[in-house]
Amino acid sequence: MFLEDCKILENVEVAKNMYLMKLKGTKAIPETVSGQFFMLQCKNSGVFLRRPISIHYINKKESVLEFYYEVKGKGTKDLSAAKTGDYINIQGPLGNGFIKEGTGKKVLVIGGGMGIAPMKYLLEELNNLGSNITFIAGGRNRGALKILDNIDLKGIITHITTDDGSQGTHGRVDMKMRELLEKERYDLVYTCGPEKMMESVAKIATENNIKCFVSLEARMACGVKACVGCSIKTKDGMKKVCHDGPVFDSTIIVEMNPKEKTETCCGN
Amino acid sequence: MSSLGINFLGVDFKNPLVTSSGCFGFGMEYKDYFDPNILGGIGIKGLTLEPRDGNYGTRIAETPSGMLNCVGLENPGIEYFKKVTLPLMKKEGINTNIIANINGSTIEDYIKIAKEVENIPEIKIIELNISCPNVKDGGMAFGANPEVAGRVTKEVRNVTTKPLVVKLSPNVTDIAGIAKIVEENGADAISLINTVLGMAIDIRSKKPLLGNTFGGLSGPAVKPIALRMVYQVYKAVKIPIIGMGGIASPEDALEFIMAGATLVSVGSVIFPNPLLPVEIIEGMEKYCKDNGIANISELIGIVHR
Repeated sequence: MFLEDCKILENVEVAKNMYLMKLKGTKAIPETVSGQFFMLQCKNSGVFLRRPISIHYINKKESVLEFYYEVKGKGTKDLSAAKTGDYINIQGPLGNGFIKEGTGKKVLVIGGGMGIAPMKYLLEELNNLGSNITFIAGGRNRGALKILDNIDLKGIITHITTDDGSQGTHGRVDMKMRELLEKERYDLVYTCGPEKMMESVAKIATENNIKCFVSLEARMACGVKACVGCSIKTKDGMKKVCHDGPVFDSTIIVEMNPKEKTETCCGN
Repeated sequence: MSSLGINFLGVDFKNPLVTSSGCFGFGMEYKDYFDPNILGGIGIKGLTLEPRDGNYGTRIAETPSGMLNCVGLENPGIEYFKKVTLPLMKKEGINTNIIANINGSTIEDYIKIAKEVENIPEIKIIELNISCPNVKDGGMAFGANPEVAGRVTKEVRNVTTKPLVVKLSPNVTDIAGIAKIVEENGADAISLINTVLGMAIDIRSKKPLLGNTFGGLSGPAVKPIALRMVYQVYKAVKIPIIGMGGIASPEDALEFIMAGATLVSVGSVIFPNPLLPVEIIEGMEKYCKDNGIANISELIGIVHR
């Protein structure tokens, strides 16, 4: 397991509040697959917990990791303030990552907003497996898709949607998915994005008998299934997003974000 | 015996550092970071008779210098623990002391689970968590009512021969009074503090942030409260104490020992710093060496003398 200080090579604002951070490991970064994440320390702001951030890309040869993240609160604000040459402590890789069944298959990859983050590395892995890839990338506006400039989309059939129509098709990724399914057939769907979007994508996939993997996000304290803060209910019982996920077969998830209350008990 | 070796309730601990229940899973979760057997003992995730899913909705909220949680005792239940988890712990080579944290919603539940744990030889010590709501007597936590705290301690005492530690909730007005009552009813030791009840509100949704509305505050934010309570309880009782609450450094651990703790426990601060136990053990060893202390037990409660 990697628990090391890494040197920041660059940390740039790609679009409003969305940053791309490149880190160089002081040691070789262990075997990492797309969909996994690291816990990043944000020590300058004094926030207590690390922040789980998915891997955008990893250059194994150079030991360079890329994280694409949005500033949402104090911790990520702290990350965004880090400068080239600063050091940051990272813990990982954690979680299961995307379960690759893409060898020679026809795969639909759908990323919405910050859900595009883990797709750069996934697309490369799928490409290496010889998959036939279609990629739908959606966002609120043109800015949310600026990150695509950092992704090699050569040989990938790419569709872009925006909520405000400022780039690509005016609409949502699930609408584009339905449209494509009228003419095409896919073996697999990989998706990451807002919960509502993933719920819709998973539903469409199920209706069309396509296996769908979703990458979930959850509040977590430890990242190693010790705190049990990120549990979700599945058909196979309670699962930890940090350890059993973040990628799940969509059909085992009962509710992505259950609101129902049951027993009450304080503390641990 | 090394400078850190200590005997606690007849059980040898290689050092006074243990882990707090609910912060260290079942001892295997951090094995990629350090060998769990370097710990004096492992406080495992709170167990109940039946498996529990825990609370729904958001379970974690960050606070200044700490965090709130309302996990709600999610655990696989005692049967699963015996059949699957414990054999796995052994297979993973865990051989340090195991402290089992037991929970219930009624006194009958506590008795039943204590009887189950009594028959597990690998469990060296029982920690009775009395912070759960007592469903039969109105939902108030067992630990918040001196009479009920005494009763549950006595009933569990009657069914176990293992050393019995009672974990106290800080959400009371008179911690020393509760400590005395559980001592009178047969507790061999006291651990404190459990989390401090708190809450957070999401101003965007205008609703409580946590799925359970309230959650337990832990982390460095609670350390001064915990230290004060260990100090007060040490004065009030004769039985030993496991001190915990926001311990984030060897210095913090030493403060708890000086206030009166025999063992010290790391809790949620391990989340941001997985190597904290290693740092604390090394730091305590160094302190003993630098200060000519033959054994750390010399420091227990020293601030009272």
